[in-house]
Amino acid sequence: MKIQLILNRLDSIGAKFETILLVFILISMILIAVGQIIMREVFEVGFGWIDELVRLMVLWIALVGSIAACRENRHIRIDIISNYLSERITNLIQAFVDMFAAVICGLIAFQSWRYLKIEIEYSDIVLVDTPAWIAHSIVPIAFFLISYRFLVTALKKTIDVFLRKSST
Amino acid sequence: MIFISLFLIIIAIFGAPLFAVIASSAMLGFHGLDSDLMIMAIEIQSIASMPFLAAIPLFTFAGYILSESNAPKRLVKLTNSIFGWMPGGLSLVCLAACAFFTAFTGASGVTIIALGAILYPALKEDGYNDKFNLGLVTSAGSLGLLFAPSLPLILYGVIAKVSIDQLFIAGILPGLLMLIMLSTYSLLINRHIRKPLSSFSIQKVRTSLKESLWELPLPVIVLGGIYSGFFAVSEAAAITALYVVVIEVFILREISIRRLPQIIHSSMVLVGGILIILAVSIASTSYMIDAEIPQHLFALVKSLIDSQTTFLILLLIFLLILGAILDIFSAIVLVVPLILPIASGYNIDPVHLGIVFLAAMQLGYLTPPVGLNLFIASFRFEKPIMHVYSATLPFLIILMISVIFITFFPQLSLFLSN
Repeated sequence: MKIQLILNRLDSIGAKFETILLVFILISMILIAVGQIIMREVFEVGFGWIDELVRLMVLWIALVGSIAACRENRHIRIDIISNYLSERITNLIQAFVDMFAAVICGLIAFQSWRYLKIEIEYSDIVLVDTPAWIAHSIVPIAFFLISYRFLVTALKKTIDVFLRKSST
Repeated sequence: MIFISLFLIIIAIFGAPLFAVIASSAMLGFHGLDSDLMIMAIEIQSIASMPFLAAIPLFTFAGYILSESNAPKRLVKLTNSIFGWMPGGLSLVCLAACAFFTAFTGASGVTIIALGAILYPALKEDGYNDKFNLGLVTSAGSLGLLFAPSLPLILYGVIAKVSIDQLFIAGILPGLLMLIMLSTYSLLINRHIRKPLSSFSIQKVRTSLKESLWELPLPVIVLGGIYSGFFAVSEAAAITALYVVVIEVFILREISIRRLPQIIHSSMVLVGGILIILAVSIASTSYMIDAEIPQHLFALVKSLIDSQTTFLILLLIFLLILGAILDIFSAIVLVVPLILPIASGYNIDPVHLGIVFLAAMQLGYLTPPVGLNLFIASFRFEKPIMHVYSATLPFLIILMISVIFITFFPQLSLFLSN
Protein backbone atom coordinates (compact mmCIF):
# COMPACT_ATOMS: atom_id res chain seq x y z
CA MET A 1 0.00 0.00 0.00
CA LYS A 2 2.87 2.33 0.84
CA ILE A 3 4.37 1.69 -2.60
CA GLN A 4 1.04 2.56 -4.17
CA LEU A 5 0.96 5.87 -2.28
CA ILE A 6 4.43 6.74 -3.48
CA LEU A 7 3.52 5.80 -7.06
CA ASN A 8 0.36 7.94 -6.96
CA ARG A 9 2.35 10.86 -5.60
CA LEU A 10 4.94 10.44 -8.39
CA ASP A 11 2.08 10.28 -10.86
CA SER A 12 0.59 13.63 -9.91
CA ILE A 13 4.02 15.28 -9.84
CA GLY A 14 4.61 13.83 -13.32
CA ALA A 15 1.31 15.19 -14.61
CA LYS A 16 2.12 18.68 -13.36
CA PHE A 17 5.60 18.50 -14.84
CA GLU A 18 4.19 17.49 -18.24
CA THR A 19 1.82 20.45 -18.28
CA ILE A 20 4.58 22.89 -17.26
CA LEU A 21 6.86 21.52 -19.97
CA LEU A 22 4.14 21.69 -22.66
CA VAL A 23 3.18 25.25 -21.69
CA PHE A 24 6.82 26.35 -21.66
CA ILE A 25 7.69 24.78 -25.03
CA LEU A 26 4.55 25.91 -26.86
CA ILE A 27 4.71 29.51 -25.64
CA SER A 28 8.43 29.78 -26.44
CA MET A 29 7.73 28.29 -29.85
CA ILE A 30 5.10 30.95 -30.61
CA LEU A 31 7.32 33.78 -29.39
CA ILE A 32 10.45 32.53 -31.16
CA ALA A 33 8.64 31.98 -34.47
CA VAL A 34 6.93 35.39 -34.37
CA GLY A 35 10.18 37.03 -33.24
CA GLN A 36 11.94 35.48 -36.22
CA ILE A 37 9.43 37.03 -38.64
CA ILE A 38 9.84 40.46 -37.04
CA MET A 39 13.65 40.17 -37.19
CA ARG A 40 13.51 39.19 -40.82
CA GLU A 41 10.95 41.70 -42.05
CA VAL A 42 11.95 44.67 -39.90
CA PHE A 43 15.65 44.29 -39.22
CA GLU A 44 16.46 42.07 -42.18
CA VAL A 45 18.48 39.61 -40.12
CA GLY A 46 17.94 35.88 -39.71
CA PHE A 47 19.61 32.98 -37.94
CA GLY A 48 19.57 29.54 -39.49
CA TRP A 49 19.61 27.83 -36.10
CA ILE A 50 16.27 29.36 -35.05
CA ASP A 51 14.51 27.19 -37.60
CA GLU A 52 16.34 24.15 -36.26
CA LEU A 53 15.39 25.11 -32.70
CA VAL A 54 11.69 25.38 -33.58
CA ARG A 55 11.80 21.97 -35.26
CA LEU A 56 13.48 20.38 -32.22
CA MET A 57 10.71 21.91 -30.12
CA VAL A 58 8.18 20.11 -32.32
CA LEU A 59 9.94 16.82 -31.50
CA TRP A 60 9.71 17.60 -27.78
CA ILE A 61 6.07 18.69 -27.95
CA ALA A 62 5.20 15.55 -29.90
CA LEU A 63 6.84 13.22 -27.38
CA VAL A 64 5.80 15.00 -24.18
CA GLY A 65 2.27 15.22 -25.65
CA SER A 66 2.38 11.47 -26.26
CA ILE A 67 3.30 10.77 -22.65
CA ALA A 68 0.34 12.92 -21.58
CA ALA A 69 -1.90 11.15 -24.10
CA CYS A 70 -1.14 7.84 -22.36
CA ARG A 71 -2.26 9.15 -19.03
CA GLU A 72 -5.63 10.18 -20.48
CA ASN A 73 -5.94 7.13 -22.73
CA ARG A 74 -6.08 9.43 -25.76
CA HIS A 75 -3.77 7.53 -28.13
CA ILE A 76 -5.34 6.87 -31.50
CA ARG A 77 -6.76 3.36 -31.76
CA ILE A 78 -9.14 1.55 -34.05
CA ASP A 79 -11.98 1.50 -31.60
CA ILE A 80 -14.49 -1.03 -32.87
CA ILE A 81 -14.86 -3.63 -30.19
CA SER A 82 -15.55 -1.49 -27.12
CA ASN A 83 -18.78 -0.32 -28.73
CA TYR A 84 -20.07 -3.87 -29.22
CA LEU A 85 -18.62 -6.09 -26.47
CA SER A 86 -19.26 -6.31 -22.74
CA GLU A 87 -17.19 -4.20 -20.42
CA ARG A 88 -15.35 -7.13 -18.87
CA ILE A 89 -14.22 -8.66 -22.13
CA THR A 90 -13.24 -5.21 -23.38
CA ASN A 91 -11.13 -4.64 -20.27
CA LEU A 92 -9.41 -7.97 -20.71
CA ILE A 93 -8.59 -7.28 -24.34
CA GLN A 94 -7.41 -3.78 -23.51
CA ALA A 95 -5.14 -5.13 -20.80
CA PHE A 96 -3.56 -7.43 -23.38
CA VAL A 97 -3.07 -4.80 -26.12
CA ASP A 98 -1.71 -2.26 -23.62
CA MET A 99 0.79 -4.86 -22.44
CA PHE A 100 1.81 -5.30 -26.06
CA ALA A 101 2.26 -1.51 -26.41
CA ALA A 102 4.32 -1.45 -23.21
CA VAL A 103 6.71 -4.09 -24.59
CA ILE A 104 7.10 -2.33 -27.95
CA CYS A 105 7.71 1.08 -26.35
CA GLY A 106 10.19 -0.48 -23.92
CA LEU A 107 12.08 -1.87 -26.89
CA ILE A 108 12.13 1.52 -28.65
CA ALA A 109 13.29 3.18 -25.40
CA PHE A 110 16.15 0.66 -25.16
CA GLN A 111 17.18 1.13 -28.80
CA SER A 112 17.11 4.91 -28.64
CA TRP A 113 19.08 4.83 -25.42
CA ARG A 114 21.74 2.80 -27.23
CA TYR A 115 21.74 5.38 -30.01
CA LEU A 116 22.02 8.22 -27.49
CA LYS A 117 25.19 6.65 -26.07
CA ILE A 118 26.68 6.66 -29.57
CA GLU A 119 25.78 10.33 -30.02
CA ILE A 120 27.54 11.12 -26.73
CA GLU A 121 30.56 9.10 -27.77
CA TYR A 122 30.91 10.84 -31.15
CA SER A 123 30.00 14.25 -29.66
CA ASP A 124 27.37 15.01 -32.34
CA ILE A 125 26.24 18.60 -32.39
CA VAL A 126 22.99 20.49 -33.06
CA LEU A 127 22.15 24.24 -32.90
CA VAL A 128 25.69 25.47 -33.63
CA ASP A 129 27.39 24.07 -30.54
CA THR A 130 24.88 22.14 -28.38
CA PRO A 131 25.56 18.44 -27.83
CA ALA A 132 22.97 16.52 -29.86
CA TRP A 133 22.30 14.05 -27.04
CA ILE A 134 20.69 16.79 -24.92
CA ALA A 135 18.19 17.59 -27.68
CA HIS A 136 17.56 13.92 -28.43
CA SER A 137 17.45 12.64 -24.83
CA ILE A 138 13.67 13.08 -24.88
CA VAL A 139 13.29 10.06 -27.21
CA PRO A 140 14.40 7.31 -24.79
CA ILE A 141 12.91 9.17 -21.81
CA ALA A 142 9.51 9.55 -23.49
CA PHE A 143 9.32 5.95 -24.71
CA PHE A 144 10.39 4.68 -21.30
CA LEU A 145 7.61 6.69 -19.62
CA ILE A 146 5.04 5.69 -22.26
CA SER A 147 6.00 2.05 -21.74
CA TYR A 148 5.66 2.48 -17.99
CA ARG A 149 2.19 4.08 -18.38
CA PHE A 150 0.92 1.28 -20.60
CA LEU A 151 2.27 -1.29 -18.16
CA VAL A 152 0.42 0.37 -15.29
CA THR A 153 -2.91 0.57 -17.14
CA ALA A 154 -2.55 -3.02 -18.34
CA LEU A 155 -1.96 -4.22 -14.77
CA LYS A 156 -4.81 -2.10 -13.42
CA LYS A 157 -7.24 -3.51 -15.96
CA THR A 158 -6.13 -7.08 -15.30
CA ILE A 159 -6.58 -6.64 -11.56
CA ASP A 160 -9.95 -5.05 -12.20
CA VAL A 161 -11.17 -8.00 -14.27
CA PHE A 162 -10.06 -10.66 -11.83
CA LEU A 163 -11.12 -8.89 -8.66
CA ARG A 164 -14.63 -8.47 -10.05
CA LYS A 165 -14.72 -12.10 -11.01
CA SER A 166 -13.93 -13.22 -7.48
CA SER A 167 -16.45 -10.86 -5.92
CA THR A 168 -19.40 -12.10 -7.99
CA MET B 1 6.13 -13.68 -41.23
CA ILE B 2 2.56 -13.91 -42.55
CA PHE B 3 1.52 -15.23 -39.17
CA ILE B 4 3.06 -12.26 -37.36
CA SER B 5 1.53 -9.75 -39.79
CA LEU B 6 -1.85 -11.33 -39.21
CA PHE B 7 -1.29 -11.04 -35.47
CA LEU B 8 -0.49 -7.32 -35.84
CA ILE B 9 -3.63 -6.68 -37.88
CA ILE B 10 -5.80 -8.50 -35.36
CA ILE B 11 -4.23 -6.71 -32.42
CA ALA B 12 -4.80 -3.37 -34.21
CA ILE B 13 -8.47 -4.16 -34.77
CA PHE B 14 -8.77 -5.17 -31.14
CA GLY B 15 -7.69 -1.67 -30.15
CA ALA B 16 -3.92 -1.68 -29.67
CA PRO B 17 -2.55 1.88 -29.93
CA LEU B 18 -1.88 2.33 -33.65
CA PHE B 19 1.55 3.82 -33.19
CA ALA B 20 2.68 0.72 -31.30
CA VAL B 21 1.38 -1.55 -34.08
CA ILE B 22 3.12 0.52 -36.79
CA ALA B 23 6.33 0.66 -34.76
CA SER B 24 6.36 -3.09 -34.27
CA SER B 25 5.82 -3.77 -37.96
CA ALA B 26 8.68 -1.36 -38.79
CA MET B 27 11.00 -3.06 -36.31
CA LEU B 28 10.00 -6.45 -37.59
CA GLY B 29 10.79 -5.33 -41.12
CA PHE B 30 14.15 -3.81 -40.22
CA HIS B 31 15.00 -6.96 -38.28
CA GLY B 32 14.27 -8.99 -41.41
CA LEU B 33 16.66 -6.78 -43.41
CA ASP B 34 19.35 -7.35 -40.74
CA SER B 35 19.36 -3.64 -39.83
CA ASP B 36 20.34 -2.55 -36.33
CA LEU B 37 17.14 -1.53 -34.53
CA MET B 38 18.86 1.64 -33.33
CA ILE B 39 17.58 2.95 -36.64
CA MET B 40 14.21 3.47 -34.90
CA ALA B 41 15.77 6.30 -32.87
CA ILE B 42 17.14 7.96 -36.01
CA GLU B 43 13.78 7.72 -37.77
CA ILE B 44 11.83 9.08 -34.79
CA GLN B 45 14.26 11.99 -34.39
CA SER B 46 13.77 12.84 -38.05
CA ILE B 47 10.50 14.52 -37.03
CA ALA B 48 12.85 17.36 -36.13
CA SER B 49 14.05 17.64 -39.72
CA MET B 50 10.67 17.98 -41.40
CA PRO B 51 9.79 21.50 -42.54
CA PHE B 52 6.47 23.22 -41.68
CA LEU B 53 5.54 20.63 -39.03
CA ALA B 54 5.39 23.36 -36.37
CA ALA B 55 2.14 24.46 -38.06
CA ILE B 56 0.36 21.43 -36.55
CA PRO B 57 0.78 22.20 -32.83
CA LEU B 58 0.33 25.93 -33.43
CA PHE B 59 -2.91 25.72 -35.44
CA THR B 60 -4.30 23.04 -33.10
CA PHE B 61 -3.66 25.29 -30.12
CA ALA B 62 -5.30 28.26 -31.88
CA GLY B 63 -8.33 26.12 -32.72
CA TYR B 64 -8.69 24.93 -29.12
CA ILE B 65 -8.54 28.52 -27.83
CA LEU B 66 -11.24 29.55 -30.32
CA SER B 67 -13.51 26.66 -29.39
CA GLU B 68 -13.17 27.43 -25.66
CA SER B 69 -14.09 31.09 -26.16
CA ASN B 70 -17.43 32.51 -27.29
CA ALA B 71 -16.22 32.59 -30.89
CA PRO B 72 -18.51 29.67 -31.91
CA LYS B 73 -21.57 31.58 -30.65
CA ARG B 74 -20.54 34.73 -32.48
CA LEU B 75 -19.90 32.73 -35.64
CA VAL B 76 -23.39 31.22 -35.52
CA LYS B 77 -24.91 34.64 -34.87
CA LEU B 78 -23.05 36.18 -37.78
CA THR B 79 -23.98 33.47 -40.30
CA ASN B 80 -27.53 33.54 -38.97
CA SER B 81 -27.82 37.25 -39.68
CA ILE B 82 -26.73 36.56 -43.27
CA PHE B 83 -28.67 33.37 -44.09
CA GLY B 84 -31.33 33.26 -41.38
CA TRP B 85 -34.07 34.94 -43.45
CA MET B 86 -34.21 32.16 -46.07
CA PRO B 87 -36.69 29.29 -45.72
CA GLY B 88 -34.52 26.53 -44.28
CA GLY B 89 -31.83 29.10 -43.70
CA LEU B 90 -30.70 27.80 -40.33
CA SER B 91 -29.48 24.61 -41.98
CA LEU B 92 -27.23 26.75 -44.18
CA VAL B 93 -25.99 28.52 -41.08
CA CYS B 94 -25.09 25.15 -39.63
CA LEU B 95 -23.19 24.01 -42.75
CA ALA B 96 -21.29 27.27 -43.27
CA ALA B 97 -20.37 27.78 -39.62
CA CYS B 98 -19.25 24.16 -39.21
CA ALA B 99 -17.12 24.26 -42.36
CA PHE B 100 -15.38 27.44 -41.25
CA PHE B 101 -14.84 26.13 -37.75
CA THR B 102 -13.55 22.71 -38.80
CA ALA B 103 -10.99 24.28 -41.11
CA PHE B 104 -9.56 26.00 -38.05
CA THR B 105 -9.83 23.20 -35.53
CA GLY B 106 -8.53 20.38 -37.67
CA ALA B 107 -11.34 17.89 -37.90
CA SER B 108 -10.96 16.19 -34.57
CA GLY B 109 -14.56 16.11 -33.50
CA VAL B 110 -14.26 19.48 -31.78
CA THR B 111 -16.79 21.01 -34.18
CA ILE B 112 -19.66 18.75 -33.15
CA ILE B 113 -18.98 19.46 -29.51
CA ALA B 114 -18.45 23.23 -29.83
CA LEU B 115 -21.00 24.14 -32.53
CA GLY B 116 -23.39 21.20 -32.34
CA ALA B 117 -24.23 22.11 -28.77
CA ILE B 118 -25.48 25.50 -29.99
CA LEU B 119 -26.98 24.50 -33.34
CA TYR B 120 -28.77 21.27 -32.48
CA PRO B 121 -31.19 22.83 -29.98
CA ALA B 122 -31.58 25.93 -32.19
CA LEU B 123 -32.63 23.80 -35.17
CA LYS B 124 -35.12 21.93 -33.03
CA GLU B 125 -36.59 25.16 -31.70
CA ASP B 126 -37.12 26.43 -35.23
CA GLY B 127 -39.17 23.35 -36.10
CA TYR B 128 -36.71 21.30 -38.08
CA ASN B 129 -37.20 17.54 -38.09
CA ASP B 130 -35.15 15.92 -35.35
CA LYS B 131 -33.66 13.21 -37.53
CA PHE B 132 -32.61 15.80 -40.11
CA ASN B 133 -30.92 17.88 -37.41
CA LEU B 134 -28.98 14.95 -36.08
CA GLY B 135 -27.76 13.98 -39.56
CA LEU B 136 -26.94 17.57 -40.46
CA VAL B 137 -24.91 18.34 -37.34
CA THR B 138 -23.10 15.00 -37.49
CA SER B 139 -22.08 15.31 -41.13
CA ALA B 140 -21.33 19.05 -40.98
CA GLY B 141 -18.82 18.24 -38.25
CA SER B 142 -16.12 17.28 -40.72
CA LEU B 143 -17.09 19.51 -43.62
CA GLY B 144 -14.29 22.06 -43.56
CA LEU B 145 -11.59 19.45 -44.06
CA LEU B 146 -10.65 20.70 -47.52
CA PHE B 147 -10.37 24.34 -46.48
CA ALA B 148 -7.14 25.92 -45.25
CA PRO B 149 -5.60 25.64 -42.72
CA SER B 150 -6.99 22.20 -41.84
CA LEU B 151 -4.48 19.84 -40.26
CA PRO B 152 -5.00 16.95 -42.71
CA LEU B 153 -4.12 19.27 -45.63
CA ILE B 154 -0.91 20.34 -43.90
CA LEU B 155 -0.02 16.77 -42.99
CA TYR B 156 -0.59 15.57 -46.55
CA GLY B 157 1.65 18.37 -47.84
CA VAL B 158 4.42 17.39 -45.42
CA ILE B 159 4.22 13.67 -46.26
CA ALA B 160 3.79 13.97 -50.05
CA LYS B 161 6.30 16.85 -50.25
CA VAL B 162 3.71 18.91 -52.14
CA SER B 163 3.54 22.68 -51.69
CA ILE B 164 1.08 23.34 -48.86
CA ASP B 165 0.11 26.74 -50.34
CA GLN B 166 -0.95 24.97 -53.51
CA LEU B 167 -2.99 22.42 -51.53
CA PHE B 168 -4.74 25.23 -49.69
CA ILE B 169 -5.88 26.68 -53.02
CA ALA B 170 -6.71 23.29 -54.51
CA GLY B 171 -9.13 22.50 -51.69
CA ILE B 172 -11.32 25.56 -52.26
CA LEU B 173 -13.52 24.44 -55.19
CA PRO B 174 -13.97 20.79 -54.09
CA GLY B 175 -14.77 22.02 -50.57
CA LEU B 176 -17.32 24.47 -51.96
CA LEU B 177 -18.87 21.72 -54.09
CA MET B 178 -19.51 19.62 -50.98
CA LEU B 179 -20.90 22.65 -49.19
CA ILE B 180 -23.20 23.63 -52.06
CA MET B 181 -24.54 20.11 -52.60
CA LEU B 182 -25.37 19.66 -48.93
CA SER B 183 -26.89 23.16 -48.78
CA THR B 184 -29.10 22.50 -51.80
CA TYR B 185 -30.36 19.29 -50.25
CA SER B 186 -31.04 20.97 -46.91
CA LEU B 187 -32.87 23.89 -48.52
CA LEU B 188 -35.00 21.61 -50.68
CA ILE B 189 -36.02 19.42 -47.78
CA ASN B 190 -36.78 22.34 -45.47
CA ARG B 191 -38.30 24.76 -47.95
CA HIS B 192 -41.55 24.78 -45.97
CA ILE B 193 -39.89 26.02 -42.80
CA ARG B 194 -40.27 29.75 -42.44
CA LYS B 195 -39.44 31.53 -39.30
CA PRO B 196 -41.48 34.70 -39.63
CA LEU B 197 -39.66 36.83 -37.09
CA SER B 198 -36.25 36.56 -38.63
CA SER B 199 -36.28 38.79 -41.67
CA PHE B 200 -33.13 40.03 -43.24
CA SER B 201 -31.88 43.33 -41.88
CA ILE B 202 -28.66 45.06 -42.74
CA GLN B 203 -28.67 46.42 -39.20
CA LYS B 204 -28.50 42.90 -37.76
CA VAL B 205 -25.64 41.96 -40.06
CA ARG B 206 -23.80 45.08 -39.01
CA THR B 207 -24.21 44.34 -35.27
CA SER B 208 -23.02 40.78 -35.56
CA LEU B 209 -20.13 41.84 -37.78
CA LYS B 210 -19.14 44.30 -35.09
CA GLU B 211 -19.28 41.58 -32.42
CA SER B 212 -17.02 39.34 -34.47
CA LEU B 213 -14.72 42.22 -35.35
CA TRP B 214 -11.69 40.63 -33.70
CA GLU B 215 -12.10 37.20 -35.26
CA LEU B 216 -12.82 38.45 -38.78
CA PRO B 217 -9.18 39.17 -39.69
CA LEU B 218 -8.23 35.50 -38.99
CA PRO B 219 -8.78 34.12 -42.51
CA VAL B 220 -6.93 37.11 -43.89
CA ILE B 221 -3.96 36.52 -41.58
CA VAL B 222 -3.78 32.82 -42.41
CA LEU B 223 -4.51 32.85 -46.12
CA GLY B 224 -3.40 36.33 -47.08
CA GLY B 225 -0.02 35.88 -45.42
CA ILE B 226 0.61 32.52 -47.06
CA TYR B 227 -0.71 33.32 -50.54
CA SER B 228 1.11 36.64 -50.75
CA GLY B 229 4.33 34.78 -49.95
CA PHE B 230 4.82 37.02 -46.95
CA PHE B 231 5.34 34.09 -44.63
CA ALA B 232 5.48 30.28 -44.60
CA VAL B 233 2.68 28.05 -43.27
CA SER B 234 4.42 27.47 -39.95
CA GLU B 235 4.93 31.22 -39.52
CA ALA B 236 1.29 31.95 -40.32
CA ALA B 237 0.42 29.36 -37.66
CA ALA B 238 2.60 31.10 -35.06
CA ILE B 239 1.03 34.48 -35.83
CA THR B 240 -2.48 32.98 -35.69
CA ALA B 241 -1.73 31.36 -32.32
CA LEU B 242 -0.36 34.60 -30.87
CA TYR B 243 -3.23 36.66 -32.30
CA VAL B 244 -5.90 34.31 -30.95
CA VAL B 245 -4.37 34.34 -27.47
CA VAL B 246 -4.13 38.13 -27.49
CA ILE B 247 -7.77 38.67 -28.51
CA GLU B 248 -9.48 35.94 -26.47
CA VAL B 249 -7.37 36.24 -23.33
CA PHE B 250 -6.33 39.89 -23.18
CA ILE B 251 -8.81 41.91 -25.25
CA LEU B 252 -12.14 40.06 -25.01
CA ARG B 253 -11.11 38.30 -21.76
CA GLU B 254 -13.27 35.28 -22.42
CA ILE B 255 -10.55 32.88 -21.32
CA SER B 256 -8.66 33.55 -18.10
CA ILE B 257 -4.89 33.14 -18.07
CA ARG B 258 -5.31 30.43 -15.45
CA ARG B 259 -7.18 28.26 -17.95
CA LEU B 260 -4.41 28.49 -20.56
CA PRO B 261 -2.24 25.64 -19.19
CA GLN B 262 -5.22 23.27 -19.29
CA ILE B 263 -6.06 24.26 -22.89
CA ILE B 264 -2.42 23.91 -23.95
CA HIS B 265 -2.30 20.52 -22.24
CA SER B 266 -5.40 19.08 -23.92
CA SER B 267 -4.51 20.44 -27.37
CA MET B 268 -0.97 19.06 -27.13
CA VAL B 269 -2.29 15.65 -26.09
CA LEU B 270 -4.08 15.54 -29.45
CA VAL B 271 -0.92 16.73 -31.24
CA GLY B 272 1.20 14.13 -29.42
CA GLY B 273 -1.20 11.39 -30.50
CA ILE B 274 -0.94 12.44 -34.15
CA LEU B 275 2.79 13.17 -34.30
CA ILE B 276 3.88 9.93 -32.61
CA ILE B 277 2.04 8.06 -35.36
CA LEU B 278 3.86 10.24 -37.88
CA ALA B 279 7.19 9.43 -36.19
CA VAL B 280 6.82 5.66 -36.31
CA SER B 281 5.31 5.81 -39.81
CA ILE B 282 8.49 7.52 -41.03
CA ALA B 283 10.27 4.41 -39.79
CA SER B 284 7.87 1.98 -41.44
CA THR B 285 7.94 3.95 -44.70
CA SER B 286 11.71 3.93 -44.84
CA TYR B 287 11.70 0.19 -44.17
CA MET B 288 9.27 -0.27 -47.07
CA ILE B 289 11.49 1.81 -49.34
CA ASP B 290 14.56 -0.24 -48.30
CA ALA B 291 12.61 -3.40 -49.07
CA GLU B 292 11.47 -1.88 -52.41
CA ILE B 293 7.84 -2.51 -51.53
CA PRO B 294 6.45 0.53 -53.43
CA GLN B 295 8.13 -0.71 -56.63
CA HIS B 296 6.75 -4.24 -56.22
CA LEU B 297 3.32 -2.85 -55.45
CA PHE B 298 3.49 -0.58 -58.49
CA ALA B 299 4.51 -3.45 -60.76
CA LEU B 300 1.66 -5.56 -59.41
CA VAL B 301 -0.96 -2.83 -59.85
CA LYS B 302 0.36 -1.92 -63.29
CA SER B 303 0.08 -5.52 -64.43
CA LEU B 304 -3.57 -5.66 -63.34
CA ILE B 305 -4.90 -2.23 -64.25
CA ASP B 306 -4.03 -0.28 -67.35
CA SER B 307 -6.37 2.69 -67.58
CA GLN B 308 -6.34 5.74 -65.33
CA THR B 309 -10.11 5.58 -64.91
CA THR B 310 -10.07 2.00 -63.65
CA PHE B 311 -7.27 2.92 -61.28
CA LEU B 312 -9.23 5.90 -59.93
CA ILE B 313 -12.35 3.77 -59.39
CA LEU B 314 -10.38 1.15 -57.47
CA LEU B 315 -8.50 3.85 -55.55
CA LEU B 316 -11.76 5.41 -54.48
CA ILE B 317 -13.18 2.10 -53.26
CA PHE B 318 -9.94 1.41 -51.41
CA LEU B 319 -9.98 4.85 -49.76
CA LEU B 320 -13.61 4.51 -48.68
CA ILE B 321 -12.86 1.19 -46.99
CA LEU B 322 -9.68 2.64 -45.48
CA GLY B 323 -11.60 5.63 -44.14
CA ALA B 324 -14.14 3.36 -42.52
CA ILE B 325 -11.48 1.68 -40.37
CA LEU B 326 -8.62 4.14 -39.98
CA ASP B 327 -8.62 7.74 -38.75
CA ILE B 328 -7.57 10.37 -41.25
CA PHE B 329 -4.17 11.16 -39.73
CA SER B 330 -2.93 7.58 -39.54
CA ALA B 331 -4.26 6.95 -43.04
CA ILE B 332 -2.29 9.89 -44.45
CA VAL B 333 1.04 9.01 -42.89
CA LEU B 334 0.75 5.27 -43.57
CA VAL B 335 -0.84 5.04 -46.99
CA VAL B 336 0.16 8.19 -48.89
CA PRO B 337 3.84 7.16 -49.25
CA LEU B 338 2.65 3.89 -50.82
CA ILE B 339 0.04 5.18 -53.27
CA LEU B 340 1.83 8.38 -54.29
CA PRO B 341 4.33 6.68 -56.63
CA ILE B 342 1.62 4.41 -58.04
CA ALA B 343 -0.73 7.33 -58.73
CA SER B 344 1.99 9.29 -60.48
CA GLY B 345 2.49 6.23 -62.69
CA TYR B 346 -1.08 6.81 -63.88
CA ASN B 347 -0.39 10.53 -64.42
CA ILE B 348 -2.41 11.65 -61.44
CA ASP B 349 -1.30 15.01 -60.11
CA PRO B 350 -0.12 14.72 -56.46
CA VAL B 351 -2.19 17.79 -55.56
CA HIS B 352 -5.32 16.22 -57.04
CA LEU B 353 -4.50 12.93 -55.31
CA GLY B 354 -4.30 14.78 -52.00
CA ILE B 355 -7.72 16.35 -52.45
CA VAL B 356 -9.27 13.02 -53.49
CA PHE B 357 -7.59 11.30 -50.56
CA LEU B 358 -8.89 13.79 -47.99
CA ALA B 359 -12.36 14.06 -49.55
CA ALA B 360 -12.75 10.28 -49.44
CA MET B 361 -11.38 10.08 -45.91
CA GLN B 362 -13.90 12.71 -44.85
CA LEU B 363 -16.64 10.17 -45.53
CA GLY B 364 -14.81 7.89 -43.11
CA TYR B 365 -15.97 10.15 -40.27
CA LEU B 366 -19.53 9.10 -41.10
CA THR B 367 -19.21 5.44 -42.08
CA PRO B 368 -19.71 2.57 -39.70
CA PRO B 369 -18.16 0.78 -37.89
CA VAL B 370 -15.56 3.33 -36.72
CA GLY B 371 -16.84 6.75 -37.91
CA LEU B 372 -15.68 9.20 -35.27
CA ASN B 373 -18.46 11.76 -35.79
CA LEU B 374 -21.13 9.08 -35.40
CA PHE B 375 -19.88 8.16 -31.96
CA ILE B 376 -19.30 11.73 -30.84
CA ALA B 377 -22.83 12.71 -31.96
CA SER B 378 -24.36 9.63 -30.35
CA PHE B 379 -22.56 10.42 -27.12
CA ARG B 380 -23.12 14.19 -27.19
CA PHE B 381 -26.82 14.16 -28.12
CA GLU B 382 -27.63 10.93 -26.26
CA LYS B 383 -29.04 9.07 -29.25
CA PRO B 384 -28.57 5.36 -29.99
CA ILE B 385 -25.81 4.78 -32.52
CA MET B 386 -28.11 3.01 -35.01
CA HIS B 387 -30.36 6.07 -35.00
CA VAL B 388 -27.36 8.31 -35.81
CA TYR B 389 -26.35 5.93 -38.65
CA SER B 390 -29.70 6.21 -40.36
CA ALA B 391 -30.03 9.97 -39.74
CA THR B 392 -26.66 10.55 -41.40
CA LEU B 393 -27.26 8.27 -44.38
CA PRO B 394 -28.80 10.83 -46.82
CA PHE B 395 -25.95 13.25 -46.15
CA LEU B 396 -23.43 10.47 -46.60
CA ILE B 397 -24.89 9.63 -50.01
CA ILE B 398 -24.72 13.26 -51.16
CA LEU B 399 -21.14 13.58 -49.96
CA MET B 400 -20.31 10.32 -51.75
CA ILE B 401 -21.62 11.79 -55.03
CA SER B 402 -19.54 14.92 -54.52
CA VAL B 403 -16.44 12.80 -53.87
CA ILE B 404 -17.04 11.00 -57.17
CA PHE B 405 -17.19 14.38 -58.93
CA ILE B 406 -14.02 15.52 -57.19
CA THR B 407 -12.21 12.33 -58.19
CA PHE B 408 -13.11 12.29 -61.87
CA PHE B 409 -12.91 16.02 -62.54
CA PRO B 410 -9.33 16.91 -61.60
CA GLN B 411 -9.96 20.42 -62.94
CA LEU B 412 -11.93 21.09 -59.74
CA SER B 413 -8.78 20.85 -57.67
CA LEU B 414 -6.25 21.96 -60.27
CA PHE B 415 -8.03 24.86 -61.98
CA LEU B 416 -7.24 27.48 -59.32
CA SER B 417 -3.89 26.14 -58.21
CA ASN B 418 -2.26 26.07 -61.63
